[in-house]
Amino acid sequence: MAILRGEQGSVQFDAAGSTNATIVGTRSWSLTTTKETLDVTDHGDTFRSFVGSLISGSGTVELVYDPDATGQAGFLEDVLTTADPADATFELFTTGSTSGSDSISFAGIITDMEISSTVGELVVVSCNFITSGAITGNLE
Amino acid sequence: MAATNLNTVRATIEARLATELLKAPPIPVVFHNMAYEPTPGSSWVQCLTTFGANEYLSQGGTTDSQNRIFGLVVFNIFTAPGAGPGANYTIGKRIRDLYNRVNVSGVFFDAPTGPEALASPAPEGYFQTQVRVTFESIEGL
Repeated sequence: MAILRGEQGSVQFDAAGSTNATIVGTRSWSLTTTKETLDVTDHGDTFRSFVGSLISGSGTVELVYDPDATGQAGFLEDVLTTADPADATFELFTTGSTSGSDSISFAGIITDMEISSTVGELVVVSCNFITSGAITGNLE
Repeated sequence: MAATNLNTVRATIEARLATELLKAPPIPVVFHNMAYEPTPGSSWVQCLTTFGANEYLSQGGTTDSQNRIFGLVVFNIFTAPGAGPGANYTIGKRIRDLYNRVNVSGVFFDAPTGPEALASPAPEGYFQTQVRVTFESIEGL
């Protein structure tokens, strides 16, 4: 049995899609993967039938803001990339940080970045992203 | 980064107070686990630093990760009885100003509570007030 706790996770990212590096200060991540379906029900059928179609993903990475933390600035500012070619690469780890192990990897685009500063609380940043192209799962 | 040395945090907090209370008028200060026999009717301060519950701040296991360390400093301020609160509150202001929303060496002090007058001073024979300041420090691993 290997039930995991959230603090075992991590996020790696590279804006140029070459070498992913850990973003220090990640507090949480989430990824929702959706598969569209096509209705292939024939005339005369009494039950609907479907086949899977296009797969897409979107999610959020939340950070405890630290301007000196490794990897944060490049991640946060990727939302400012104009004419974004979706060349940024992500790898979301459920535990550890060994590429290709206990992770989901994909190329994507950061679509939203929200930074908030509130009296008595830590400054946190939330980034939303969508995947582009294949999503590779290594969760076994 | 390395794990936070809590003894260093404690020393940072206590040194700040010791330096302040050496200034005129100097006031004796005593910390945890120190014997002290106060002169009756004199003014003195007891400083008690305690670390409390900590929490995960970020992901990352034992490397590239951060914890949030919380603590509390309690200042017991003793002055002569029967002379009104002025002298006591003057010391309280010095202590309060010393930590109020200050960030020292990565230790963030919150807004202080007090000075609050205590109905039953311990030890007896003094007018006692208490200032409490919560603080936190970010531990980077």
